[in-house]
Amino acid sequence: MHLPDGFLDAKTALLSYGVAAAGVSIALRQVRSALKPREVPLLGLSAAFVFAAQMLNFPVLGGTSGHLVGGVLAAVLLGPSAAVLVITCVLMVQCLMFADGGLSALGANVFNMGILGVGSGYAAFRAAKWLVRSEDIRATVFASAFAGWCGTVLASIGCAGQLALSGTAPWSVAFPAMASIHMLIGVGEGLATGLVVLAVLRVRPTLVAGAGHGAGEGRFGVVGYGLLIVLGLVLFVAPFACPWPDGLENVARTLGFSHRAVDPLIHAPIPEYHLPWAVSPALATAFAGCVGTGVVFVAAYAMARLLVPAFEGGKKDATSGN
Amino acid sequence: MKPAVAIKSLSYRYDGGSPALDDISFTVEQDETIALLGPNGAGKSTLLLHFNGLLPEKLPADPVIWIDGEPLAKETLAGIRQKVGLLFQDPDDQLISATVFEDVAFGPRQLGVEGAILRSVVEHSLSLAGVAGFEHREPHRLSQGEKRRVCLAGVLACKPRVLVLDEPTSDLDPRGRREFKALLRSLPGAKIIATHDLELAVDLCSRAVILDQGKLVAAGPTIPLLSNEELMLAHGLEKPHSLLHRHPHS
Amino acid sequence: MLPPATDSPRVTTLHRLSPTVKLGGALLIILTTVLLPRGVSWAYAMPAALVFLLWPLSGMTFVYIWRRMLLAEFFIVGFALFSLFHEAARPVFFSAFAKSNICVFTLLLLTWTTPFHLILNELRRWRLPGIMVTTLALMVRYLPVLVEESSRMQRARASRGFTRRKGVAWSNLTMIIGQLFIRSADRAERIYLAMCARGWK
Repeated sequence: MHLPDGFLDAKTALLSYGVAAAGVSIALRQVRSALKPREVPLLGLSAAFVFAAQMLNFPVLGGTSGHLVGGVLAAVLLGPSAAVLVITCVLMVQCLMFADGGLSALGANVFNMGILGVGSGYAAFRAAKWLVRSEDIRATVFASAFAGWCGTVLASIGCAGQLALSGTAPWSVAFPAMASIHMLIGVGEGLATGLVVLAVLRVRPTLVAGAGHGAGEGRFGVVGYGLLIVLGLVLFVAPFACPWPDGLENVARTLGFSHRAVDPLIHAPIPEYHLPWAVSPALATAFAGCVGTGVVFVAAYAMARLLVPAFEGGKKDATSGN
Repeated sequence: MKPAVAIKSLSYRYDGGSPALDDISFTVEQDETIALLGPNGAGKSTLLLHFNGLLPEKLPADPVIWIDGEPLAKETLAGIRQKVGLLFQDPDDQLISATVFEDVAFGPRQLGVEGAILRSVVEHSLSLAGVAGFEHREPHRLSQGEKRRVCLAGVLACKPRVLVLDEPTSDLDPRGRREFKALLRSLPGAKIIATHDLELAVDLCSRAVILDQGKLVAAGPTIPLLSNEELMLAHGLEKPHSLLHRHPHS
Repeated sequence: MLPPATDSPRVTTLHRLSPTVKLGGALLIILTTVLLPRGVSWAYAMPAALVFLLWPLSGMTFVYIWRRMLLAEFFIVGFALFSLFHEAARPVFFSAFAKSNICVFTLLLLTWTTPFHLILNELRRWRLPGIMVTTLALMVRYLPVLVEESSRMQRARASRGFTRRKGVAWSNLTMIIGQLFIRSADRAERIYLAMCARGWK
């Protein structure tokens, strides 16, 4: 999901940099106030850890392999603000040391993976734990897995929105493609996230920030990140996801590039994105999204039950009160 | 002459409450090198962290450590930290910067040294440690022996009066070990060396202290102490080979 | 995997330029390229020619370019495929493809000729927040250490029996990653002590 340079137009790149900078500022403020001096090297080592973890090959279908992104993992282990900083640094090094990901697109990448992915993932983590009303190992593992999936999917939607806003890709193609691909990829990410959290919880539960109850983010952080995520979705997704199917065409006409009445090279499989049985495309999309999320929620819960034996699952982790 | 290092009735408990060190007392005279021996888990590394105040997290009101006669307390902490140079067991934990120069310069920079003086301090420390000209090298491309020497240079750059070393020859090959021993021998000042390398203790250290389960179980001149096979075996050690055929009082 | 050693002697022109010039120059080239309008094909020749001319001045090897561009092309082509569904497919596709390749090449010139710690110094001068500078510095320093540790752990697991079963592979990998985090956290603690031992506050 690393956007290279040249896919985003000036306004989208600038907007992305803006929201990314705002998010990183919030993270800096939170980390500066909460981080003890002896934890400072941990940020650097965690960034190296995420990078090193991203390099490992997870066997997937056939001969292909997948990789962990680790944003939500970092959030569960270190807390969301530290994770924002860690992922931002990882992306910066990938760009400025390995030419992986564009420099003008760095803002967008930081926003998608660092803020949208981490923020929505962590929110899903807390929500999932709250829903099962438990603080034990099983709950943390299940919530991490579910959150890993959510973060991946949301990040990809942000990316699709940015491509559409830049006029590089039509929303009607980018969104379903990105979202469906990442719903699949997200399963791997979620599974890996849950398993790693389980591995750490079994040996050193005190290292998992997300396992304690709620020292978590202060109100400033919650409100700040929440607003930014909403803003990002408004900027990059809302113009396209609104119920008027010809929204993009309106935008195109206004911005003046609809005069190119050239036929697309490849015709979209579902012209005008109408599904036969749906009331409107937006509602159909929302419905599909909810169903998908629900399926993953249940699957993550089942996985956690399967992998964490009962005697361990009920055990309260070290940081929760008794 | 005041001893270089003096500790009296030092005790320490881990966070969970289990005792780590129990009533330790000994002194190190000026320019003396002593060996700190003991099985794994005896508390050697924990003890070493006390000499420059890294442990305990809150220094006690009544001092238990004196460096050059000065008691270790909150007010004297900064000064004592500069006087006591601590070399950690894993050089990768100590080499934190992108280049050798930056890393050796780290200590002096904290003391406010900059510019041309800083450059000459770094150069001098590197040559003392036998790694002159390494300024632009990257830490992760150095050999273990070179890393240790650069760490030593970084410690020497702060001009300490006492050197405390945690297993300095543990991952060196025989030549590396020989060369490092020669290097240590050439450095002036009091030294405390925690080590499993009993030959090193015999070669470099006039006195030895044995720790076991947090307690000081024996102390005295190195050769007679290490020749006491029963004592050595009782505390997870052994009589070093170089003393096997040697009369303890020869 | 890692960029070339910076302690080996380099006498190429671009290496000798100051990091400020290189970072600023790369930024300038990338920004102008990205801002080029779509459908004006000849305009892309200018930045393309520029980076092509800079290439011999840097001594950048084919091997380095090949390895990095291969990965980059994967993302570039992947994203560019979306543009083929566009109403104005050809200019959009060409524009995205050309811009991204020119910019990746520019970044490669930068990463080849400028060690990261010099780029980091520049960023610090450009007021990057201190905690990020520290994090980036430590990250880059310990990345090879952690990669080595994870390789060692993988080899140890592999030597205990090779298996094609994905479940076991995933279980092994995630345990390794978990262990890696724990070791990293422990190391961070020791690094803190070592920094304090040399006077850090």
